Amino acid sequence: MLRTDEILSTIEMLHAEHLDVRAVTLAINVDDCAAPNVEHLCRKLSGKITSRAQRLVEICDRIGVKYGIPVTNKRIAISPVSTILAGHGRAAAVQVAKTLDRAALDCRVDFVGGFSALVHKGISAGDDVVMSSLPDVLAQTHRVCASVNVASRRAGINMDAVHQIGHVIKRIAEATAAQRGFGCAKLVVFANIPEDNPFMAGAYMGSGEPEAAVNIGVSGPGVVGSALKRRIAIEPNLTLGDLAEEIKITSFRVTRVGELIGREVAAELGVAFGIVDLSLAPTPTVGDSIGEIIETLGLACVGAPGSTAAVALLNDAVKKGGLFASSSVGGLSGAFIPVSEDGTLARAAGRGQLVLEKLEAMTSVCSVGLDMIAVPGDTPAETLSAIIADEMAIGVINNKTTAVRIIPVPGAKAGEVVDFGGLFGSTPILEVRNSGASDVFVRRGGRIPAPLQSLGN
Amino acid sequence: MPRFDNAYVLDVMSDDHPGIVAAVTNAVEALGGNIDSCSQTVLGGYFTLIMIVSLPEAIEAEQLAARVRGAESLGSEYQVVARRALPRPAGPPRVETDRFVITAFGQDQPGIVRRFSQYLASKDINIVDLYGDRKGEEFVLIGQVQVPKRWDIRMLQADLEQMGEELGFTVKLQHENIFVATNQLRLTPSPQG
Repeated sequence: MLRTDEILSTIEMLHAEHLDVRAVTLAINVDDCAAPNVEHLCRKLSGKITSRAQRLVEICDRIGVKYGIPVTNKRIAISPVSTILAGHGRAAAVQVAKTLDRAALDCRVDFVGGFSALVHKGISAGDDVVMSSLPDVLAQTHRVCASVNVASRRAGINMDAVHQIGHVIKRIAEATAAQRGFGCAKLVVFANIPEDNPFMAGAYMGSGEPEAAVNIGVSGPGVVGSALKRRIAIEPNLTLGDLAEEIKITSFRVTRVGELIGREVAAELGVAFGIVDLSLAPTPTVGDSIGEIIETLGLACVGAPGSTAAVALLNDAVKKGGLFASSSVGGLSGAFIPVSEDGTLARAAGRGQLVLEKLEAMTSVCSVGLDMIAVPGDTPAETLSAIIADEMAIGVINNKTTAVRIIPVPGAKAGEVVDFGGLFGSTPILEVRNSGASDVFVRRGGRIPAPLQSLGN
Repeated sequence: MPRFDNAYVLDVMSDDHPGIVAAVTNAVEALGGNIDSCSQTVLGGYFTLIMIVSLPEAIEAEQLAARVRGAESLGSEYQVVARRALPRPAGPPRVETDRFVITAFGQDQPGIVRRFSQYLASKDINIVDLYGDRKGEEFVLIGQVQVPKRWDIRMLQADLEQMGEELGFTVKLQHENIFVATNQLRLTPSPQG
């Protein structure tokens, strides 16, 4: 029999603190959809996705009702399209993307990830088709998300790909200029891309995964933030160690919710249960912010000295609680700091308290990187590439996933505010210092070699 | 299974103080009896105990109750009821159920427990554990219940939410496993029923 205090504390977490399951992502391998004729390829692709995923939304909603916990986002991730696009051209790539867009709509999911290329050591023909078609793909579809892995611990950083992707990002921004470069929000550039990430825009299904699997993204930062505030209201003088303990306990409970729901969704869909991703993914909603947690820990504003330490504490405690709760932890599993999607971060950036360089420092101890950063539209492609290279270096050297989702907003200057709407939020355009000073370095291309595995200081 | 053939249900109520269980069990032991199962709770300063006890020799249930009443030695009064515990009669086959938890919070007023329990009874939903507490003007009600699998949970939730709205209460009906998952170290979903 359950104890009354157990029931009450869970009720508080679920209803007062708005716990939800942030993302249920059905990953599907589509390699067997390859065909020499693009019409045939698209028919197979559409048929496979819709047959696998057509019940996803209905099942998630029904299970959510049973447990009294909403599943906020239902999504689809596929194996990299570069595989099935090998031997095809850019027109075929756009046709495939539109097929994915339509399949996502038919399955009532908001995004489908996996328009992806893995180029950390070199660019294959299929990868090149993916990368070069991205401006058209992201401008002509609504639900398709793309990712490119340009660096890894074992291969180093492919600077040719980094150079190329800087130009691709500029072209995407221009192709979606009417939406203030929003197409760039659907592309993530990675180092050490995880194969089982449920979060968009970077979700795709990697090699070594089963035919289909359900991966879960647990609730947002609101639950952790509320738990901390409640404890501090009772005991104002808690140490950082005490607060880390509170985060750990909350993370344990949140992870359990994700695992319970994920396993049941997977069982009903008849596919494997993959992983629970522990990442705290903020939304622009007040109270659902990583920045707010950092401020609750005792910093007057995000970006102040101490911010990196605060994020490190949060990230580590979330992992420790989550790892004890589930044996199937994976994905990115860290705290996200997407500037436009986090009201407190965006506000701090607008006030000049949080700058690009401090964000970069914070990403060295948390997931996932420079995320949803809007910069001036005239930032040179090579400077975008250099920002990406810096972030990739943090990932490669520290053996972790890092990523960049950067939006050079056409016509916009530093300090202006851009609104992407909905979950993508609004953000001031961040200043890029020393813009244009990295051209020679980036144009050299080649590969930054893989780092040492020892002498790790 | 009771240890001896003659099983009794024994119900004891008293104002709460140390020594009640000791006195009651002393009386049972004096009859050569065995305690087969028991559950005790204290509410509002009052103690209540329910026990299944079995005796080697059959006696009248009231005799057992009188022995327990007589065991009181600290100046309070035990209210004791005893009756023979009969083997469960073979009734109609039990319906398949799932375990849910119903929680209701709102401004206290007479009739809350009655309204909810009448609804549950009308749906053949069995209450296996019930907790209610008035704190200030607020009343919280938590019931652990067995819901027949033939019901659509969404319909039950809609009914309960409507009733809650009429009473000014927030009402939730959620599967028990969510509480197990978030509180207990081992993630073992509860057995059915």
